[in-house]
Amino acid sequence: MQVTMEHVTHTYQPGSPFQATAIQDVSMEIREGEFLALIGHTGSGKSTLAQHINGLLKPTSGKVLLDGKDIHEKGFDKKEVRKTIGLVFQYPEHQLFEETVAKDVGFGPKNLGLSEDEIKERVIEALQKVGLGEPELMEKSPFELSGGQMRRVAMAGVLAMRPRILVLDEPAAGLDPQSREDMLQLISGLHKQGTTVVMISHSMDDVARFATRAVVMEHGAIAMEGTPQEIFRHAERLEGMGLDVPSVCKLGMKLRAMGLPCPEDVFREEQALPALLALWKEGKRHGA
Amino acid sequence: MALDNITLGQYYPADSVVHRMDPRVKIILLIAVIVAVFLAGNLLAFVPVIAFLIVVTKLSKVPVKMMLKGLKPLRLILILTFVLNLFFLQGETVLLDLGFAQIKQESLVLAVHYSLRLILLVLFSSLLTLTTPPITLTDGLERLLSPLRVIHFPAHEMAMMMSIALRFIPTLMEEADKIMKAQTARGADFESGNLIARAKAMVPLLVPLFVSAFRRAGDLAMAMEARCYHGGEGRTRLRVLKCEKRDFIACVLVALLIAIVILLGKIY
Repeated sequence: MQVTMEHVTHTYQPGSPFQATAIQDVSMEIREGEFLALIGHTGSGKSTLAQHINGLLKPTSGKVLLDGKDIHEKGFDKKEVRKTIGLVFQYPEHQLFEETVAKDVGFGPKNLGLSEDEIKERVIEALQKVGLGEPELMEKSPFELSGGQMRRVAMAGVLAMRPRILVLDEPAAGLDPQSREDMLQLISGLHKQGTTVVMISHSMDDVARFATRAVVMEHGAIAMEGTPQEIFRHAERLEGMGLDVPSVCKLGMKLRAMGLPCPEDVFREEQALPALLALWKEGKRHGA
Repeated sequence: MALDNITLGQYYPADSVVHRMDPRVKIILLIAVIVAVFLAGNLLAFVPVIAFLIVVTKLSKVPVKMMLKGLKPLRLILILTFVLNLFFLQGETVLLDLGFAQIKQESLVLAVHYSLRLILLVLFSSLLTLTTPPITLTDGLERLLSPLRVIHFPAHEMAMMMSIALRFIPTLMEEADKIMKAQTARGADFESGNLIARAKAMVPLLVPLFVSAFRRAGDLAMAMEARCYHGGEGRTRLRVLKCEKRDFIACVLVALLIAIVILLGKIY
């Protein structure tokens, strides 16, 4: 399953005095099995782009292709797109509405027209995936849960559709450190099991940890594209766009500024220690 | 999506004399012009009113297309008014005999008269909302209603409620759009099916929307109290409304308009 965007432009409220072009001539692809991070400043068009991936927004011009077929062409079954590509919005807990957790998670599968048994099976599976497998929890009202639990129920609601591609808009925003870590581990786990993941994130540390590829957006266009290694090599440019860089990169930049030969492609936490040790040994040899 | 094209409050931002006018004056003049429209006793008396409308529209820099958009939701009522009056009013001079019904000259004149009256009412009102931001409008309304405090009419509270409602329409609209998209992403279908199916499809939209409205209301009340809001007593304003020369000129113009309309109605 591969999504390709060809020269996608989206203008909100065209022709009115409030018209605004959110993304301009964006061409990119989402490859099978990758963990793609979408990075960008607020208002750079990340969320608009994400909503094009599963056809929620129709491009003003340009095409969105799923395995080579235009999803906005007449006769293309939109249900197929929704089934294949799951989208988890920012603060997804704000969309909960059913009387019980089980019913809410089952909303997606029900819309797909699945049988009762199949829905039940998927609900249990999805809730177990997000770590809310307790049977008594399923009959609770989603509004009785804690914020972190609500977010996970909402996430289960998307997972119950068994998407091949999962698009997440800042899934860890506003969570406490533990819930945040759990959420990221959950997403990473899904990726390891073969789901293609597209994640919008402001945390460069998360991008450095999990992403296999990253796309940087600025003013509605793609500014940079590549592996995290390639992107974080241009730490100064990222900072120029008002974006953060991973803490390890910051440390490296400081060390380089002090005249120490810290390599530029160190950006992950687990790379930091060996690099620092190497620097230390180097220093000792020179008797510093 | 479907909610993109609703522009509530429908303010058209531009820099014009009409935009800069005092909202209180605009509200009063709207009422005066409506009176003029009702005073117009014959078709000829509409001519100065229409001329006035054209001049003010021109001055306001609002595109004619935006103005006419206001008539769209009323098209059914307009057509009904015209057709019903055309066929069911009494008259003597038969213009056209359709066999099953006759069109008489008197009824044709009256049908045009009533339809024109309705169109003018709508156009003048939309001119007010197009050239005045909603918040300024409620501000003006509050000041106009404040003398009624003597009889314990809660003018400030009403205006505050209206401002909050207007302020939150775009916010809630955005929220509704987001929830709608999220549910669509989960395979919900808001657009097909019969009336009952569609009403049922609204549940996944309305429940989260109400939940968020309540949450916002609580937050807002807290934030207002935290900043010592305690009602209208002794409050000063950021924007002090002031009548200027253009407002007086407008008043004189409208007074003249009413005079001309009455005169034309009397002569013919």
